[in-house]
Amino acid sequence: MADRRRINGPPGGTRPAVFASSLNTADTATGRPQRQRQFNELRKIFLKTGLIPSASGSAYLEYEPSASLAAARSSPKSLIPPSSALKLACTVHGPKPLPRSATFSPNLVLTTHVKYAPFAARKRKGHIRDSSERDLGVHLETALRGVIVAERWPKSGLDITITILEAEDDRWWGDAPDSHDAPWGMINVLAGCITAASAAIADARIDCLDLVAGGVAAIVSDESEDSEAKPKLMLDTDPAEHKAILSACVVAYLPSRDEITEIWLKGDCSRAMLGADDKRSGHDALIDGAVDAARGAHSVLAEAVRESAQRFVGLAAGAQ
Amino acid sequence: MAQAAASAAQSAAPSLSLPPSQFARLQPHAYLLAHLSPPPATNQPSIRANGRAPSQFRVTSANTGSLTHTNGSAVVRLGDTTAVCGVRAEILHTEDIASWSVSRSTESSSAPTNKRRKLTDPTTKPNERIDSKDEDDNESHIQDFNLLVPNLSLSTGCAPGFIPGAPPSTLAQSLSHQILTLLHSTRLVRAEDLRIWYQPPNLGPEDLECHNENEQMDVDASQEDEKNKEIKAFWVLYIDVMIVSLAGNPFDAAWAAVLAALRDTKLPRAWWDVDNEMVVCSDAVSEARKLTLRGLPVSSSFCVFEADAASGWRAVVIPDAEEEKELDDSARKGNQRRWILADPDGYEEGLTQERICVVVDKEQGGKGKTVIQKLEKVGGWTADAKELKALVDISAQRWEDVRRILNEQC
Repeated sequence: MADRRRINGPPGGTRPAVFASSLNTADTATGRPQRQRQFNELRKIFLKTGLIPSASGSAYLEYEPSASLAAARSSPKSLIPPSSALKLACTVHGPKPLPRSATFSPNLVLTTHVKYAPFAARKRKGHIRDSSERDLGVHLETALRGVIVAERWPKSGLDITITILEAEDDRWWGDAPDSHDAPWGMINVLAGCITAASAAIADARIDCLDLVAGGVAAIVSDESEDSEAKPKLMLDTDPAEHKAILSACVVAYLPSRDEITEIWLKGDCSRAMLGADDKRSGHDALIDGAVDAARGAHSVLAEAVRESAQRFVGLAAGAQ
Repeated sequence: MAQAAASAAQSAAPSLSLPPSQFARLQPHAYLLAHLSPPPATNQPSIRANGRAPSQFRVTSANTGSLTHTNGSAVVRLGDTTAVCGVRAEILHTEDIASWSVSRSTESSSAPTNKRRKLTDPTTKPNERIDSKDEDDNESHIQDFNLLVPNLSLSTGCAPGFIPGAPPSTLAQSLSHQILTLLHSTRLVRAEDLRIWYQPPNLGPEDLECHNENEQMDVDASQEDEKNKEIKAFWVLYIDVMIVSLAGNPFDAAWAAVLAALRDTKLPRAWWDVDNEMVVCSDAVSEARKLTLRGLPVSSSFCVFEADAASGWRAVVIPDAEEEKELDDSARKGNQRRWILADPDGYEEGLTQERICVVVDKEQGGKGKTVIQKLEKVGGWTADAKELKALVDISAQRWEDVRRILNEQC
């Protein structure tokens, strides 16, 4: 049944635009964006707190556009974007009293909502949350539940809402849709969600054990059809830049306690080719890589939270 | 014991003055009133609690084209209210429209009547005639086939009252509908921009013959090739507005974002591919074209703040002539009882009942007359025709500001 609370388009539905250049496969073989970063180099993260004054805490996170996307922006030739850069806004409302109908809870009750904007991804998203968005919400909740000191707010609720304005691609657009099974973009989105939510919670001045940061590592095999594929470990992968991602991992990591509150690993990590003196298994190396990426994100996060604290001190001084 | 009591008394020593932020929460109406009508002895100017003059709008900024997966996008910040708008174009094939063949036959029959109207009406000014020429047939396509699909979402955590994940609130539904109505009534987007034509190749005399029946119906078409042209598909513009942060006046912010995003929208060149029987687009930026919008309607919202806090509860009684005179007299003496506040923030919106929304445009890119595209007044009786006239003038000034802000972008 049509959604009567929204304005629906034509009843027969519409079709996304099909570009002529994507119909003949010969053109597309050359176009895949190349990774310009070192294997352990992260994209720059823009993170700012307090942009949404009506919320008790808020954060806005944006990834630096990859080299190919930046080039396409500065001198546009094709209407098909080569890759995309994550942009999301996170708000925290609370702690607030639970509704009267709710059962007693000695702890803070955390609810997380992750929603893609309809224009966030290459394929138009619906207005109602789908299962992948709910899944992201559950993962985010797990990551944050281990950080918040929940027993300090009995009978209270905390709402965390994330709106994704632009998501990461799951794969390069020129690849056939079934060439990779897993939606790899979700992994990057979750890492961004964790970092932004952590900043927003700190901005709302909720007590936490530590600033939790998200990081992504992946084992990729690309760049070589001629020689035998050597799967390599890369940090902060942009799925559009790689031909095949064998496995990817996102962690929510507390640097000062050296703890992981959430780990999500997909794919086969047994075939990773590590250095000769490296005795780790592919699985361990992948998690270590993700933790390293999270450490990088943490430095940005700490800076954003420091700004938030300074703003708060300034406000308190102004109110006196 | 006595010591303890003394210290308790000291700590509980009542401070009689509340800090302004607490006073604003406890007595919002009195707080705003005290700002707007300061005691005459203090010589302070009448100013709103947020530091603005009554007819002053918040600082507005716009940024377009930063979202990758959209045909056009814009972020508009109106003070602390932020709206993000993304326009996505998708294709609606005419074979997917159930009523297409019916509407096409009525369209060809309506064309001659339009022509006749033009001939019998020589008084129209030249520019109007140009206008009516390009819109005579089938501006109704946009409405009939729902080619513009605006939706506004408030469940982004933009304000504490809106539950994320819930269906759109009444306010969100009403705002979406207002945007849709305004898009239709201002006829901002041209139907011609959204059509995808197909020109079948001319195959020779036998082809002409089989089209003879059409020829008789199509009186308007004079040229051979024009006649064979047919619409194969339409672009449908999905206009999604996310209110990321809400601090009052969502409509102005949302409409400005829609306007900026539509000005930024580029549609790729599209054609009917006979072999694949589908519409195919070219991805070259040089071939894509921008929408040619009709005018630049700018919306300005106002609210009416009344000194009498209980006025909202009273039965509405329209003042007779004497009362009106008294009100005028008291206003002349500087004893103002109501204020019209431009661009209300969330705090002021909570204290007022009466809302006014004015959408104005100026002809010929600002040199011509001011045109009122929409004038809406709800929730009270206090603002009269004289004041509305003044508001239209304020809106016309606002139009200049918004145009400057939008032009800086593109």
